[in-house]
This record gives sequence, structure tokens and C-alpha cells, in this order.
Amino acid sequence: MFLTRSEYDRGVNTFSPEGRLFQVEYAMEAIKLGSTAVGIQTAEGVVLAVEKRLSSTLLEPNSVEKLVEIDEHVGCAMSGLIADARTMIEHARVEAQNHRFTFDEPMPVESLTQATCDLALRFGEGVEDDDEREEEMMSRPFGVSLLIAGVDEKGPALFYTDPSGTYIRWLAKAIGAGSEAAQSALQEAYYKSMTLSEAETLALRTLKEVMEEKVESNNVEVAVVRTDTKKFVIYTEAQVKECLSRLENRETH
Amino acid sequence: MYNKQHLDPHDDTSAQRPDFMPYQNNGGTVVAMGGEDYCIVAATTRLGLGFAIPTRNVCRYAILNDRVVLATAGMYADTVALHKVVTARVKVYQQQQEKPFGLFSAAQLLSNTLYYRRFFPYYTFNVLGGLDQDGQGFVYGFDAIGSGEKVKVVCNGTAQALIQPILDNQVEKKQQYENKQIEKWSLQEALDLVKDVFTSAGERDIYTGDAVDICTVTKQRGVVVETFPLKKD
Repeated sequence: MFLTRSEYDRGVNTFSPEGRLFQVEYAMEAIKLGSTAVGIQTAEGVVLAVEKRLSSTLLEPNSVEKLVEIDEHVGCAMSGLIADARTMIEHARVEAQNHRFTFDEPMPVESLTQATCDLALRFGEGVEDDDEREEEMMSRPFGVSLLIAGVDEKGPALFYTDPSGTYIRWLAKAIGAGSEAAQSALQEAYYKSMTLSEAETLALRTLKEVMEEKVESNNVEVAVVRTDTKKFVIYTEAQVKECLSRLENRETH
Repeated sequence: MYNKQHLDPHDDTSAQRPDFMPYQNNGGTVVAMGGEDYCIVAATTRLGLGFAIPTRNVCRYAILNDRVVLATAGMYADTVALHKVVTARVKVYQQQQEKPFGLFSAAQLLSNTLYYRRFFPYYTFNVLGGLDQDGQGFVYGFDAIGSGEKVKVVCNGTAQALIQPILDNQVEKKQQYENKQIEKWSLQEALDLVKDVFTSAGERDIYTGDAVDICTVTKQRGVVVETFPLKKD
């Protein structure tokens, strides 16, 4: 394998003779090590659900944060190197507030996604800081994939971004370790006229199928952006519990 | 003839440097009025300088898109520079966001653009008019450093003191002897009023005359510009 790749995977700024950027491809592999995250878009809004791997009972579950707000109308689920996601989300948050400041309106979800992706391939590039000194930014691709969910004037939207900086709009998308199984589960069960609560249940059921541990209210996180309120809300543990009991009810009946 | 001091380039106590005068007043008057399903933005075309009229036909408005128009009085060079900045920002916005630039965003952008130059302002007095998403007309008036207000009808520029009280009286029914109901103005009535106030202002303000460009914004026809002649004296 390494003979054919003949060291073209060393540098992030060099194409292989076959026209591939190995470091970017490896970064995509890094996501497959991350915890599973699921996003589902319906007419009523978008649901995001993520698995939290609690490797120890001594770990404080609240400190594992894989669903974050970008702006009040946009949220994000992440899988892969979470520290990398922080950088991208910080950038996205600034872009969102900048847009509000300049144009007095919430930033459209697609252009916010684009703005986030703008960072993806800027590795190895120097950026000027406030004193106009060149500063190293990132020397490798971001090893993280994001599900960006939001509602704007065009309605609800769910975007998937990867380390190459590509973004694609999905109706239902799974990322992370269990993504293959989860994606085919979504493929089976998704239908367009789904209600938001049905989407919540489907998201949790999908996570349940791919998670090693039993699904509990403390090892999954759920968030929604509703079309009517246009607000991103992360569910409390009690609300997650309620969703889980709905899932159980459906399965016993 | 000259003493040594006068020849010393580092001594500016005796040699007077000309004052830095970056501004000039080219006059001009702009009016905007919003109706139920239209908006009117009007700007005079005379470029005045002291008692001279270097040009009778300048453009003081910028059509940002088919539902937002900006009109600017004050210094003409600053007007041109400001219009270039704003139209470029609108173009970039429309490419990036893939949607038309809204009136309320335009108000925010203009305010920011002006305030950014808080300590070396564009010497411009702006009115901004257009339609919201439902096609209803709204207008804004701004001072030179970006403070603005959403209003029914507004006038800026050299004839502001002549025109604004008339608009307040006629459109908003202010300072009327008897309290009168505010009524809706049809597009034609509004156009007639705008033409009247400019004609009147032209009689008294030397910086207002020659012609007035009247931009009419409607949902059906977008922006239509008509040039209404004023007296050239």
C-alpha cells in the first residue's frame, strides 16, 4: 500500500500522481472513529441527535458536548476530532454575528455552512493576526465532520460537511463510527411527511441500533430547530427521557 | 527679500500651508415616500458650487436592486464613492446569499458604512426607499454619520427645511388647524405631491433645480425612473 502511495501522503499540499490528496482522505477516516451523530430534516424542523461515549462512570456526562449552537437559528452536531470542530464553530459563530451586524437579519443556513467550510482547506496557510504578523493556523486538515441544522426564510435545512470542505444538503444523514449502519437505517425509515416527533424517535432509534451501550438519557443528546419558532434548542435530560419513552412505547406496541 | 526663516522648510510658523479642505457642498435635495404598494425615491440633478452650476445633470440615486433605491444629497464626490461602495456590497451579498438584498438589510448596511467613517465622514445625506417582502413601501432617512430612522416620508439635502414641513403637514397631517385623519396616498397622488414640493423648493433654494429624477418602486414593475424637469434658473 505504501509503495504505491510512494510518500505522497506526507504533505498536505501535494497531489498524488493519481490526483488525490491523501491527508484529506485520511482525515475522513478519522471521522469514522468518532461517535455517531444523526440529523433528520422534516417540514416541521430539523432534529439532531448524537451519541455520547461515556468511557467511565466517573465522567461528568454534561461535559461531553457534541451539539452546539452557532446562532439562535442554527445548530451543529459533530463527529471526529472535537477540538477541530471548536475552531470551525468559533469561526461560524463569528460569521453569523457579523452577518447580523452588517445586514440586520439571521444568516442563511447555506451560506453559514459555506463560511464554515471556507476554513476546511486553509491548512498550512498563514493568517495575519491583528498586528499583521503571519501566524500559522492549521497544519493538517480538520479531522471532523459536521451536521449543520437550521431554519431560515427558505425553511428548514440540514447540511453535512467533511474535511475536504465540501458541503452537501441531506434530508437525513448519519456520521461517525456507526454511520454506515445508521445511514441505511435512515434510508429505510425516512419519509418526507414525517413529523418532528417522529423524526426525534427515528433519530434515537437509529442511534440505539448502532450504539454499543444501552441508550439512556445521559448518553445521547438531542436538539431541534423548529420551523415555526426558528430557534435552536438543545433538549434537557428530562426531554430526552420523554423522547426515549416514546421510542419504547412505539417498540412495545 | 526673504529672510532666512521664510526659506526654512521645517519652520511652519511663518510659511502658511493652505488649509486642508476635503469637503465641498454640491447641494441637491432628495425625497422618499413609502405607500401601501409603492415607494418613491426622488433626487435633484443640479450640481451646485457656491453661486455656480458646474453641471445640470448628475445622478444622485443608486438602484440597489429592483426593490431598493438609495438617494444622496451633499458632496457629489462622496455621493459617487458611497454609491460605489454600497452597490458593490449589494452585488457580493446577492452572489453569496443567492437572494435579493432586502430593504432592511440595506438600511443596516448603509448605517454601518456611514458610521465606519465616524471621524472622517462621507459628506452625504441619504434617503433609502423600497419595498419589503410583502411589497409594502418603506423609507429611511439618515444623517451623515449613519443615524437613521424608518419613517413614512422624508426629505434630505439643501431644501430639507423647505420641503420636510410640507410633507409632514400633507402626508402625516401634522400641524393642521383641525385634526385630520391620515389617509392613504395613491401612487399618482404621491407623485404629484413630490413634483409639487420640488417645484416649490426650486423657487427658493438655489441648489435645487434643473430636474428631479423620480424613481418609482412597485412589485409589478420594479424600479422605473422618470425625469421631471424643474426651472433652470
